[in-house]
Amino acid sequence: MKKLISYVAVLAMALVSLVGCGSDSKEVLKVFNWGAYVDKDVIKDFEREFNVKVIYEEYDSNESMYTKLMGGNQYDIMVPSEYMIERLIKEDLLTEIDWTKITNKDSLDSNVLNQSFDPENNYWVPYFYGNVGIVYDTTKVDAADLEAGWEVLRNEKYKGNLYMYDSERDSFMVALKALGYSMNTTNDAEIEEAYNWLVSQRETMNPTYGTDDIIDLMKGSEKSMAVMYSGDAVDIMSENEDMAYYLPNEGTNYWFDGFVVSKDCTNTDLAMEFINFMISDENSLANTLEVGYLTSNTHAAKEASENDFDGIEAYAIRMGSKDEVFAYQEMTVKEKFSNYWTKVKAQ
Amino acid sequence: MKQFRKLVTPYCLWLFLLTVVPMLLIVFYAFTEKGTAITTFSFTLENFTKFLDPIFVSVLFRSLKLGLLTTGVCFLVGYPIAYMIAKCKDTTQTILILLITIPTWINLLMRTYSWISILSNNGLLNKLFEAIGMNSVNMLYTDFAVIIGMVYNFLPFMILPIHASLTNMDKSLLEASQDLGASPIQTFFKITFRLSLSGVLTGITLVFLPSISAFVIPKMLGGGQYSLIGNFIEQQFITIGNWHFGSAVSLILAVFVIGLMALIFMAEKRTNNSVEEEEGGWLSNAKRKKVR
Repeated sequence: MKKLISYVAVLAMALVSLVGCGSDSKEVLKVFNWGAYVDKDVIKDFEREFNVKVIYEEYDSNESMYTKLMGGNQYDIMVPSEYMIERLIKEDLLTEIDWTKITNKDSLDSNVLNQSFDPENNYWVPYFYGNVGIVYDTTKVDAADLEAGWEVLRNEKYKGNLYMYDSERDSFMVALKALGYSMNTTNDAEIEEAYNWLVSQRETMNPTYGTDDIIDLMKGSEKSMAVMYSGDAVDIMSENEDMAYYLPNEGTNYWFDGFVVSKDCTNTDLAMEFINFMISDENSLANTLEVGYLTSNTHAAKEASENDFDGIEAYAIRMGSKDEVFAYQEMTVKEKFSNYWTKVKAQ
Repeated sequence: MKQFRKLVTPYCLWLFLLTVVPMLLIVFYAFTEKGTAITTFSFTLENFTKFLDPIFVSVLFRSLKLGLLTTGVCFLVGYPIAYMIAKCKDTTQTILILLITIPTWINLLMRTYSWISILSNNGLLNKLFEAIGMNSVNMLYTDFAVIIGMVYNFLPFMILPIHASLTNMDKSLLEASQDLGASPIQTFFKITFRLSLSGVLTGITLVFLPSISAFVIPKMLGGGQYSLIGNFIEQQFITIGNWHFGSAVSLILAVFVIGLMALIFMAEKRTNNSVEEEEGGWLSNAKRKKVR
């Protein structure tokens, strides 16, 4: 009996390895994207149309993407935010975009192109963009309290009843803006003041830090307020009518995520095809409806804001005079933020 | 069998490559800092002195405290369960042990997610409280939630070794103890508990070690602000990107763990010796017989 079982096991293993070989003949594209940042059917369509295999992996922060990339993992396409794109450009880790192959470029929103980190758009193709704001429960939060701007996050009425975004950059952005400084400051005193703001907020408000796990909990009205990315806010608001979205007048962060092609990419033609496929009118619409972030494709954005996301104010981007891009930081500045953030988290 | 011994060589090589080399890398990173170029490193102890900041040390002690609490609760809940299972018929025992292990077949993340929906403000438990007219209680993101999650995930590792040591026990010793006039309670503490101590110590090791270095459960049930040493290390590696400091903290934790293991090992040795000494050659004979 035992012998029989072992024969069967060996046979099964042999079969499994054969199956593995069968699919190897297709061309492979390795895509590394944010979690829940695409309509998976679009990827399947791409695989079918071009008869290729897409290996799709997800990350939860620009930093963890960078760490994996540095750890020796090879990807063809990644979708980092603007400051990370700037870092990747500076460290010479990207291949230039071949715009002649991006035939869908005419639909791209011209407002987001030609940013200072890549004035000629040599390395990136915009995908989604948005702000960081506050999602609040209209049944529990007094609209008058929101006049305080970011300081509402230190209003003791909401003690133990709010979510902060669990990331170094987004936390410091909130603190620096609440204090009336630029998020791109390199002034030691200002950075230290922001650190103290975060520490005192932890002590007095007992906030909960979280990232994507907050989305589902806010749909269930777990807490009254949450610092959130605009697209996640759209997702929540389209499922929970009590929720509203607020961008403080002191200014906030606006950001862009875009496709970049890594230096290691061996099949750049296929990579360009993929990017071009993703930003077509039809696929942009599918992606934006699934994800909730404002798409770079103007036709799809118009369509979505007039239908599915009608009346949801978070489906937009504000680039006002007080709003800023949280740009790439020089290593010495970055280190200061990191050291402070480690301490905030360890409290 | 001797002629097969050489077949082990590739395995040893593999083991060396996949476990020893990464550990050496951690030691290397812990004692170095980045030089001016990517390929240059310089020796430093700064990573360790940096950890001496009271805020960081408190993270380590918070983890130890939580690990001890988890282990304590696991023991208090696990021992009676293991004892009751060991008292059952053989066939029932098999089924009960299976029931204990079934949850471990499901991924830890899934099991922890389900706790979120049980403990959250609008979760199952609070709905139940409201239904019977009680006020809802804030449970998610508290020590309570984290300990519940840890105990739930690690309990099988406490029950299984205790159960094994209880069932392997020589039942004639219990009869002898009762024949000699000991009360059931005396018998339990003098015989049963003593003989199950090795299982208890194994259980404690198996629960304590993962619970001080856990980071997924505290992150999900305690929130991102709930910082334990595991979260601290993860943060240094993944988001901050300071592998040197992260490695140093890992190394400090490893030294702590090895020290604790040594303590447990010594305790185990002493209990074995004292049992044998106290019960005299009589027990060792019985033991020897069993081995045969």
